[in-house]
Amino acid sequence: MSATPGGEDRAESIRMIRDSAAAVAPPGGDMKRVRELRFRTPGFDAAVLRQMGEMGWIGLRLPEEAGGAGLGLGEACALAEELGGALVPEPLIPAMLTGSLLAAVGAGPLERVVSGEALVLTAWQERPDTLEVPGSPDAPRRFLPMAAGAAAFLVPVREGGRIALYEQQAGAGLSTEQTQDGGHVGTLEPRLGEAERIADDIGEALSLALDEAALLTSAYLLGGMDRAFAMTLDYLKTRQQFGKIIGTFQALQHKAADVRMQIALTRASIEAAAATLDAGATGDARRAVISRAKARAASSSMLVTRECIQLHGGIGYTDQYDVGLYLRKAMVMANLYGSAALHRRRFMAVSPEIEE
Amino acid sequence: MDAIRIPAPAELDALEDEHFRQVVRAFLHENYPDDLRNPPKRLHWDENRPWYMKLAERGWLCPGWPKEHGGLGLSPAKQIILTEEYERYGVARTNDHGIVMLGPLVIKYGTEEQKQRFLPKILTGEHIWCQGYSEPNAGSDLAALRTEAVLDGDEYVVNGQKIWTTLATDANWIFLLVRTDKQAKKQEGISFLLVDMKTPGITIRPIINLEMHDEFCEVFFDNVRVPAANLVGQLNKGWDMAKALLGFERIFLGSPRQSGYALSRLKILAERMGVWEDAEFQDRYARLRLEFEDLKALYGTYVEKLKRGESLGADVSMLKILQTELFQAITDTMLEIAGENAGLLEPMEGNRDLNIGGLFIQARPATIYGGSNEIQRNILAKNVLGLPG
Repeated sequence: MSATPGGEDRAESIRMIRDSAAAVAPPGGDMKRVRELRFRTPGFDAAVLRQMGEMGWIGLRLPEEAGGAGLGLGEACALAEELGGALVPEPLIPAMLTGSLLAAVGAGPLERVVSGEALVLTAWQERPDTLEVPGSPDAPRRFLPMAAGAAAFLVPVREGGRIALYEQQAGAGLSTEQTQDGGHVGTLEPRLGEAERIADDIGEALSLALDEAALLTSAYLLGGMDRAFAMTLDYLKTRQQFGKIIGTFQALQHKAADVRMQIALTRASIEAAAATLDAGATGDARRAVISRAKARAASSSMLVTRECIQLHGGIGYTDQYDVGLYLRKAMVMANLYGSAALHRRRFMAVSPEIEE
Repeated sequence: MDAIRIPAPAELDALEDEHFRQVVRAFLHENYPDDLRNPPKRLHWDENRPWYMKLAERGWLCPGWPKEHGGLGLSPAKQIILTEEYERYGVARTNDHGIVMLGPLVIKYGTEEQKQRFLPKILTGEHIWCQGYSEPNAGSDLAALRTEAVLDGDEYVVNGQKIWTTLATDANWIFLLVRTDKQAKKQEGISFLLVDMKTPGITIRPIINLEMHDEFCEVFFDNVRVPAANLVGQLNKGWDMAKALLGFERIFLGSPRQSGYALSRLKILAERMGVWEDAEFQDRYARLRLEFEDLKALYGTYVEKLKRGESLGADVSMLKILQTELFQAITDTMLEIAGENAGLLEPMEGNRDLNIGGLFIQARPATIYGGSNEIQRNILAKNVLGLPG
């Protein structure tokens, strides 16, 4: 991993990433493109995924010798947050996961993945709400995001104490289900006979990649809740009832203050996790901060988006109004890479005693 | 520990931060009385006096005051480190209203004569101050205060009543917010007055609180004559002065230390009660623990801000709300798992770590004092979120 600059340089680097995100995530919050892609196949724009590759986002975390930008999780989280604010549907986080796996083993279609030319999904998951990779040779792989647009899948398979990696081209054996946000998830039947074995042991790399994906998902959710709350505040400042701006009502003011505090805690948690990992934490220390951040983001994204709907009243319940898009996205993403309950359990299992 | 040399007070501010932290640790180790660590109640002057005088003697009493007035002249960053180490060591809060409130106010707004008259006596422990702000009908709405001071010759005549005056029975001086103009808008008719507690007409009555402790008092003023020279700053500008004094110290109301202490006691209790391994309890504990860890991270972002020399915005109110509500949630949980022990007046099994009811009751006023959490939410809504009205 290449060194990440600290202090002022670091803040500048994170600012630049945020600015560059505007290329794909319109800062005004225009949802036209997002709405057009909803409930269609493949649910995202392949050209935008390529653009993400060209901008160096898919390889953001990869070392320069693997074609990456060598940046830290601070930058990656900032980017994910910006994309979450705009509900960008392109599956950047799964693409980054695959990229880091391939870079770690130095094999497979790394270049095509990092350039965004092809979407290759890692088909690791066999049941809901887990971070474990049983690697059963014939068990269907579940919950593959935007799978209909994938060119290939990486299938981890346990062989004794190790987890080998196979590359299976897209084609037969894939079924999909629609998701609340207008995307879909796929289920893949592994066909190892037709697949190519590309690595002997990816166990450690995969568990690291899943952790990072959990943290980036948290950052994406943070961006969404921040934007949904900004919309809600605007509404509270303009909507009138009983001859008054509804934002003058103390019951609503206190709800808004509570939402703001949840967002602040989520941001602090994610930034602390990114900084801890960028400083080189490994093992249980890494798992503890990631689980903290993901547990927080999962529960606060649901709480915040629920409250945003409530604070809007009837208009918040219409599909035409954008705030509902954030709720539907949170429903899909809050439990990705582990639910809040899973991460609380993992945190308790790995976290050291409380420091007084 | 022993290897650390403790430099002269005037040199402390020049130390590198981490070195300074080590010096504070060594200083506490060397000087702080062991039996006063983590006291379960706010201590009175007779208990605090030895530590106060030790600080005075070593020149460490007033960390935030400028050196020319006998302080350590520490930057906010170093004051935070000092406070963190005091908290970590379980140092009791002393009778500190002169140090924290009155001193800085006199330094900022007082006349030369007032500075020379009052500051040295705080440094020697001769003057112990208490704060007369709240009144029976002016609590959260402090600016509604009605205790009045009417000029009569070269004296003010003070009539009225203060309440929640912390450790008034220990104090020999009190600083007051008094109404000096009844016609003006409520914030604009308030002045800042210093009163010798021995002046005829003052009555102090302690209030026993839910901790069965008498730290709060009522103070009554019946035609109390106060020299006009004891007015600090401009007439009718007392409100602005008191507000301007709310500096970075506000951050300490949101320090997560109390919650950390309570959480570790919750774990001890859960083990004692045999529910620690219980899955349902583990999830509840995890929620509290994660709340604590994330609050610590959030608190850390504000500390970093201060260390960079930035000032705090109104959003610091978040810390106070989160910390005090978490502290309460932890002690609520203690009560729920303690069975009949929840109702015991003394610590369970005589173990100070299992002071269940005591800790629960200690957590209650935290959401009320220092601006109730409802007021803090109003501040967030109006000054941070920009909501109207």
